[in-house]
Amino acid sequence: MTREISVELQKVSKLYGQDKVVDEVSFTVEKGEIFVLIGPSGCGKTTTLKMINQLIPHTSGNILVNGIDVAELDAVELRRSIGYVIQYIGLLPHLTIQENIAFVLKLTKQSKKMQKEKAEELIETVGLPTNYLTRYPRELSGGQQQRVGVARALAANPDILLMDEPFGAVDPLTREQLQNELLRLQETIRKTIVFVTHDIQEAFKVGSRIGILKQGKLVCLGTPMEIVKTDDEFVKSFIGQGALFEVLDTIEVSRVLEKEVPLVSENEKVDRTADILSGWDNVFVVNSDSKCLGYIPLNTLEPDGSFSKGQIISLPASSTPDISVKFAVEKMLWEGRTWLPIVDEKDGFKGIVLFRSCADLLAGDRG
Amino acid sequence: MEGVSEFFKYFWEIREMVWTLTVRHSWIALAGVVIGTLTAVPIGIAISRKPQASAVVIDLAGMLYTIPSLALLGFLLPFMGLGWMPTITALVIYSWLPVLRNTCTGILGVDPAAKEAAKGMGSTSFQLLMNVELPLALPVIMAAIRTVAVLTVGITVMGALVGARGLGELIFQGISMMNNKTILAGTIPVSIMALTFDQLLGLVERKLKVSTSSA
Repeated sequence: MTREISVELQKVSKLYGQDKVVDEVSFTVEKGEIFVLIGPSGCGKTTTLKMINQLIPHTSGNILVNGIDVAELDAVELRRSIGYVIQYIGLLPHLTIQENIAFVLKLTKQSKKMQKEKAEELIETVGLPTNYLTRYPRELSGGQQQRVGVARALAANPDILLMDEPFGAVDPLTREQLQNELLRLQETIRKTIVFVTHDIQEAFKVGSRIGILKQGKLVCLGTPMEIVKTDDEFVKSFIGQGALFEVLDTIEVSRVLEKEVPLVSENEKVDRTADILSGWDNVFVVNSDSKCLGYIPLNTLEPDGSFSKGQIISLPASSTPDISVKFAVEKMLWEGRTWLPIVDEKDGFKGIVLFRSCADLLAGDRG
Repeated sequence: MEGVSEFFKYFWEIREMVWTLTVRHSWIALAGVVIGTLTAVPIGIAISRKPQASAVVIDLAGMLYTIPSLALLGFLLPFMGLGWMPTITALVIYSWLPVLRNTCTGILGVDPAAKEAAKGMGSTSFQLLMNVELPLALPVIMAAIRTVAVLTVGITVMGALVGARGLGELIFQGISMMNNKTILAGTIPVSIMALTFDQLLGLVERKLKVSTSSA
């Protein structure tokens, strides 16, 4: 399957006088992904974003939106076809929420009826009650205002959304909530999103791919996992340690699942000489339906490997294979264990996640 | 108290003349405010786009603003002759500084985030002006127009000296005859007119706010 490219930058530069703010940046954004641009302030990330909808004209290079060079497009039409969300939200204080959401529809002279219907539809999409439509922006909290900002960007039903530090002006708790909502929303709307942030945790959380900018140059580009494994000293120091945990959130626990687990049927004896036991403190007891009944620490077994039902310790709360590694690690830390049993929806035993293998996941390639 | 009733008696006797002069005074002042606003707002918009030009234009308007009204009228007289022309011209000139300066300041003071968002969504510069900049600058612009309106009603008094025929006629007549009753008969309508203009413009402002927010 060929991947569709929504936005492509080819050696794009921006000069202010002699100052190269953006220096031959090239990247492609695939349809339906969240591409994050990140870097310290002054690195040119916002400038790069604004060149995509030509709020800032580029000095050299080519910018293609859905395959068409933006230089050949009318800037106003281009902007109307791309959703735009900014940090300071920029709701128009003299307009109601409905008029704010339908602003671009008003610009393109759509009927009042359509403006109203679209506003009603979108305010529900972003999780606000429809009676907010008649209110004014100042009557809403910061988080609610930014939800309206997102709804407004969706009004013209664009394929592409540009988001410039969209959650930068709200408190951390609201920010996390908005991030989760964005990811949930993205499941259904599947827009191509170019997302600028200076918060590395946010980048790892929302980004399918991340581009790191330094003094106008793209120094690193890849998936969160590729980014954390880079050798670049600047990138290493920029992402820091906190981000690693966020990367674990992007990985399904099935990747570190131990399937070769010492198992024993409830009516059998444990073969104490079996190779599989090496490195394990416990043996897991399963019944004929492959349900796990619990586990027995090896040192409580009878010398001949037999055990009684009373010796089986029931499993701690288990999880399904689709949870993230971060979630698994948090759960282990919370319960004070170094392993976590994983079962499928029908309670069938899938294996064990070891704390050690979670740690190895990131440490492995980092010298 | 006798003076008061005597004044009212006098006022009643000349009521028709007072009314005629009031009507004329008010349309001269109104013409000054309307023409002044219609010329100054576009200039204010234009200079808000060009910071270098704005300093020059505002200084120029400021210079004109400082010319005493009597001198300005005297200066315009040879070009325009007697009548309402030089008066309205002077009123327009005096309205320029406050209105164009506030228009420029008001537009520059619009929240950059609101402008960026509106532009980023694909507003043309005209749509940006009409949907965002002017509505948000409106309170600042209206403040200037209201100031100008009050000022204008006062300056129109001076117009009597160049034959504009407003309430100034009564005032100057009263001064030359040292007749306080006549002065008052001209001054009181002038004050009431100034206050009425201010209040009416306040209503206009509220009306505009409502209509821009529901457009």
